[in-house]
Amino acid sequence: MTCNRIQERFADLLTDELDEAARREVQDHIAACAACRTELEELTATWARLDLLPAEQPSGRVRAGFYEMLERYKDGLERQTTARRFADRVAAWWERAWLRKPAFAAAAAAVLLVAGIGAGYGIRGGSGGREVAALRDEVRDMRQTVALSLLSQPSAVERLQGVSYTQQVDRPDNRTLSALVETLNSDPNVNVRLAAVDALYLFRDAPGVKESLTASLALQQAPLVQVALIDLLVEVRESRAAEALKALIAGGKLDPAVKERAEQGLKELI
Amino acid sequence: MAPTDNELMEAVKDGRVEKLAVLFERHHVALFNFFLRLTGDRAASEDLVQDVFMRILKYRAGFQSEGRFAVWMFQIARNAHVDHLRKRKPVVALDDQFEEPPSPEPLPEARLEAQSEADLVRRALDHLAPRKREILMLFRFEGLKLREIADVLGVQVGTVKVQVHRALKDLGRIYGELQGGKVS
Repeated sequence: MTCNRIQERFADLLTDELDEAARREVQDHIAACAACRTELEELTATWARLDLLPAEQPSGRVRAGFYEMLERYKDGLERQTTARRFADRVAAWWERAWLRKPAFAAAAAAVLLVAGIGAGYGIRGGSGGREVAALRDEVRDMRQTVALSLLSQPSAVERLQGVSYTQQVDRPDNRTLSALVETLNSDPNVNVRLAAVDALYLFRDAPGVKESLTASLALQQAPLVQVALIDLLVEVRESRAAEALKALIAGGKLDPAVKERAEQGLKELI
Repeated sequence: MAPTDNELMEAVKDGRVEKLAVLFERHHVALFNFFLRLTGDRAASEDLVQDVFMRILKYRAGFQSEGRFAVWMFQIARNAHVDHLRKRKPVVALDDQFEEPPSPEPLPEARLEAQSEADLVRRALDHLAPRKREILMLFRFEGLKLREIADVLGVQVGTVKVQVHRALKDLGRIYGELQGGKVS
């Protein structure tokens, strides 16, 4: 086989798309042909070097923009469908009325005018209610997906965005709540942990949240987060936090301001 | 088992447009890198990624599940890039952008300071003709097969093979020149 024919197969070889027989043919040829062997070695080296090229990460702007676009699109789509369905119903009714009794048309026009004014309200409520609820669930799931994804990003700014995204979720599920608690307990950035305290405050009535907040008290080292947690637990009147506060005070090595706040909080709780 | 790209896109086509979020999470980094290597401009690349997903929604009825979703997506990506070039440089004919440079431009010595190997690869790519760069990026970041790349580009698979070969040869040569400059 000529060198040209062999070299035509190099691309297949590199992308691993050559069958066994063809691969053997290439190997036999390059064992005997120094020029082709050098060519293949060089191509292979360059091919391997492409792997060195790091996959760069876009900024959080892309993800935020995408989800915003998707929600807008979805809203528009839903409005369009509902409006079309309503318009179809009106048209069908109009046709029937007109055929039955032309004189009825004037009265019908007046009714339509009123119906038109009411349409804006009608679309949102009434029979469309269930669809809108389903849509809301989907939007909630979508927001949670974004929030979870952002919370696992290496950049603190994106994790902060993630925490703030969770606050837009109406009744988040366990996965989101656990991710928030995990952030509160182990995020290396104090601002992200503080944001997590605020977010969890919003979801304090969800099962297990107050317990997680109480348990987190023993894990926090930063005075800012400690104070934020104490304030939160006192504000929601979590009486079970009293033990955790006592343990915190007894543990020593506490910033004086935190200790003072903890003692004051304990008095308010008991 | 996780749904395939094509299953998700079928769902999007049927009106469950929120499924596009999963496709976004799977592919936006590859798309971003594809555009970044083509344009060298982070902000423009981010805009282009957005643009691609907007077009996917807009043209979702046109998706045919016989082909792979990624192939369709990169066809859209190429169109988005072409439109981007058109907007940016209205006076330069589009074909010229994809033409080979008549002769490789000399590599300025001043830029040949010590660089990591990855930097060298990136810089070598920047000197490669756009068309060749594009093909290599489709391999590197999305792992498309030769046949699929041919579909993305709308050419014969034989053409892609020849272009991959030439692209690698050129890239190797440019890399060697950059490296040589570094040593001297």
